[in-house]
Amino acid sequence: MELLKLEIVTPDGLIFSGNVKTVTLPGSEGEFGVYAGHASLVSLLKAGVVDIELENAKREMVAINWGHVKVDEHSVAILADGAISISHEESQIADSLEKAKKLIESMGDSDVALATVTARIETFARTNK
Amino acid sequence: MASLKEIKRKIKSVENTKKTTRAMKLVSTAKLNRAKTAAQQSRVYAQKINEVLSEISFKLHQFRVEGTQSSFFETTQTPAKVDIIFVTADKGLCGGFNIQTIKAVKQLISEYKEQKVKIRLRGVGKKGIAYFKFLDYELQAEYVGVSSSPTYKKAQEIITEAIDDFINGVTDKVILVHNGYKNMISQELKINDIVPVEEPVGYENTSDSLMEMEPEEDMSILESLMKKYFEYNMYYALIDSLAAEHSARMQAMENATKNASERVALLTLAYNKARQEAITTELIEIISGVESMK
Repeated sequence: MELLKLEIVTPDGLIFSGNVKTVTLPGSEGEFGVYAGHASLVSLLKAGVVDIELENAKREMVAINWGHVKVDEHSVAILADGAISISHEESQIADSLEKAKKLIESMGDSDVALATVTARIETFARTNK
Repeated sequence: MASLKEIKRKIKSVENTKKTTRAMKLVSTAKLNRAKTAAQQSRVYAQKINEVLSEISFKLHQFRVEGTQSSFFETTQTPAKVDIIFVTADKGLCGGFNIQTIKAVKQLISEYKEQKVKIRLRGVGKKGIAYFKFLDYELQAEYVGVSSSPTYKKAQEIITEAIDDFINGVTDKVILVHNGYKNMISQELKINDIVPVEEPVGYENTSDSLMEMEPEEDMSILESLMKKYFEYNMYYALIDSLAAEHSARMQAMENATKNASERVALLTLAYNKARQEAITTELIEIISGVESMK
């Protein structure tokens, strides 16, 4: 299966870079998933979780506050304003969850987004144990 | 030959200078590490956003997507009025760091003057501003105190003014000049055309689909992306320039310290020679005195 090259960058540096099977993004008009071969697209992203499925079917999550994404057939580039990668380590999940919450709270106005993100990360943490 | 006392005073003075330059070097080294990390972290983002923008620019030129007649991408006409934003340091004692930027700006000015293009300058940093003021150039805007402690907000202020003029048609081009960090011992001059966004040279198009925008009702996404692009480029120029300034100063101060050490060695030699000379003269006097008493 063809892979997508995904890059997530923030002003604080590179958060994620690698080949992935698929990625689900929190677009401002609604969530959307991207596979290789997707048509070119530039979209606004709102606060939420970027859900990544890696080559080996493992999943990764990155919480973002807002940003832009540029998609073409082979690659996805996310320019986020702030992003927190959710750790796999059980001991660090609580910590990264806390950071992600803070990041999204800093956006101020979106309680819904905060609730959604928290819920998704918690589910993710549970299923990945 | 200068008197002993005089030489001694000189040695002391050079040694004091050496202390100062060494302290400045240490301070710069510490500051450089911090500034360098900040610049390196932001570099990825700056590069990516420029990449995305040039790709969009390329596609807009290729396909002339409907409803995207944005002035930000109009590159065909020759400019009539150009804004140059330059970033220099607020402080001196950093070798050729400031003068390199100034020279580049001057060259740009003379190039544009030949084409009868009007130029406006926007200066960041005391040194550059002072230089152009001395030469009686008129500065459109001056920003002091930004280059030593750059923040995103200050960068936003600077670039927004320039871009507003561009949007309102007062200027047709904005150029950003700064001296950037290359590595510990060298700086790299960077001249960036901020707007209009030029079509990338040698860009390889890897996708053959039209570019869609979402949300698509208006051009709000492009606008917000452009805004981020300007602001980030300005911010990056500021922090990159700060890192370069510290690396330049570190090097200049190291050279100064080395020169001071050499000078002390030379003066010490002169001092010893003068002292020996005095002793010899005294001895000769005593001996000839004894001789004459015989």
